[in-house]
Amino acid sequence: MPRLRAMTASFRQQAFHFLSAPSWLIPNIIAPFVITMVVLLMYQEVTGPAILYAVLGGGMMGMWGNTLYASGYSIQSERWWGTIEAVLVVPSSLIWIIAGRTIWNALIGVVNGLLVLVIAVVAFGVPMDIADPFMFIVSFLMTMFSLAALGLLFSSAFVLTRQAGVLTNGLEFPIYVASGCLFPIILLPGWAHPLSMSLAPTWGIDAIREAAGFSPEDSIWATVLGASPDAGFILLDLAMVALLAIVYIAVAVILFRVVEKQARLTGELGRV
Amino acid sequence: MNANVMQFSRVFWSSAVIAKKALFSWLNPSLWLMQLFTMSLFQIAMFWYIAQYVNPGQSLDYIIVGNAMQSIAYVAVFAVTNITGEEKESGTLPAVLVTPANRFAMFVGKAMFQVLNSMATVAVAFFYAIVVFGLDFSSVDLLTLAVVIAVTCFATVGFGLMLSSMGFYLRTTMVLANIFLFMGLLFCGVNFPVSDLPEFLQPISYAIPMTYGTDAARMAVEGASLTDPAIMSLLGSELLVAAVAVLIGYAIMLAFERLARRKGTLEMF
Repeated sequence: MPRLRAMTASFRQQAFHFLSAPSWLIPNIIAPFVITMVVLLMYQEVTGPAILYAVLGGGMMGMWGNTLYASGYSIQSERWWGTIEAVLVVPSSLIWIIAGRTIWNALIGVVNGLLVLVIAVVAFGVPMDIADPFMFIVSFLMTMFSLAALGLLFSSAFVLTRQAGVLTNGLEFPIYVASGCLFPIILLPGWAHPLSMSLAPTWGIDAIREAAGFSPEDSIWATVLGASPDAGFILLDLAMVALLAIVYIAVAVILFRVVEKQARLTGELGRV
Repeated sequence: MNANVMQFSRVFWSSAVIAKKALFSWLNPSLWLMQLFTMSLFQIAMFWYIAQYVNPGQSLDYIIVGNAMQSIAYVAVFAVTNITGEEKESGTLPAVLVTPANRFAMFVGKAMFQVLNSMATVAVAFFYAIVVFGLDFSSVDLLTLAVVIAVTCFATVGFGLMLSSMGFYLRTTMVLANIFLFMGLLFCGVNFPVSDLPEFLQPISYAIPMTYGTDAARMAVEGASLTDPAIMSLLGSELLVAAVAVLIGYAIMLAFERLARRKGTLEMF
């Protein structure tokens, strides 16, 4: 119960931080938004489903970008403000505090994703014909959950470095490439496929696209099986999303223990 | 006159040296190298794969050169725009502004390391362009390309300085830096020609130096020499736009400094 209380309080605190300076949404949303616009302009000679493919990918990038920035800066900001030691010495374990923040960030990530979708749909008149709206929403929410788990994992690694901001900026494009938000991962070299498949959002965007009505021939399962699958694999996609999210949380729990101990030993936590 | 020039040069040089020292006092050199060697690789890869998916079989040289040039945005736009914002967050902006040193020399000097950093970034990007992405480099005019890169780095840093000047008044430059970091992808003819943009947006493209730089780099890769009137015109336009941006930035800096002093917002972030 005290853990849950710590998580809820941290969630509220993160919400207040966000509401005090909502312009911080711009850095998180600008890259996915601009890249989606660029891709739509590159797709000018292509019509129909291909455009929806790009728009959905842009939405996913919006969620991704937010997770990455928020997990990087939630620790870094505490360093700048000189409050990180105070956060670490409270009786609650750091993971519960970061978890509350991560859940808020994931929620804002969904807002980001939806904003990219809505703006692209309004500006480019993309018809949003979703084949299975129920599974579309389920896929969206499950992907959000997996992003929260991934944010937790990133945060644990960012505790030890005072250069989380640089790492966050540096990871943006590699993750966009690896997750195949805007192109099928089959185009990537074979050695990169395991890396792509270890990212829950890769499976999440696959499920979202299948729910939107895309044929499975560009699906990640075509890469796995080496041929176009006969039927949709949306439930398997979602199972992979859930499985990877659980793995991320398990690894994050272990990492947080190690990182907390290390931070106390070196005494360099507050070094800006 | 001579004393003024000497003082200007001294402030300029010491600001450039301090900026470089300050960067490496908080940024681990290995992380700087990681940035240098990965940023351009993944940016080019992203659009290279998208283009392969959208238009399979078509030449990708247009996109490769565009993104190799645009890769300097992280350095020349993002880092330079944040110069004033970082002074503010470190609590050093008021101390910097109470010195009698020439403001122009000080802030241009602070950005100079980023010109070198930009040149290194583009050089690495072109290495990847040739070796990893198969850019056809057989007809290149190397001297022209080197001049185009140098001019574009100076011009883009000048543009970044204009954005940075707004940091005297804004609570943070981070938002502005992020906006303009990616705007180049949309407006500067990086992945598609400027003429593909809606007509009302095209003037924005021609107000950004990078637009001229990417076109000139493509011509240099195709073999155009420095004496080619088209190259000369592009480089001339790029330098003119950059000079105007720096002057506007200086005017904004002075105006916002006065405004921030009057409102007491110099330290607000």
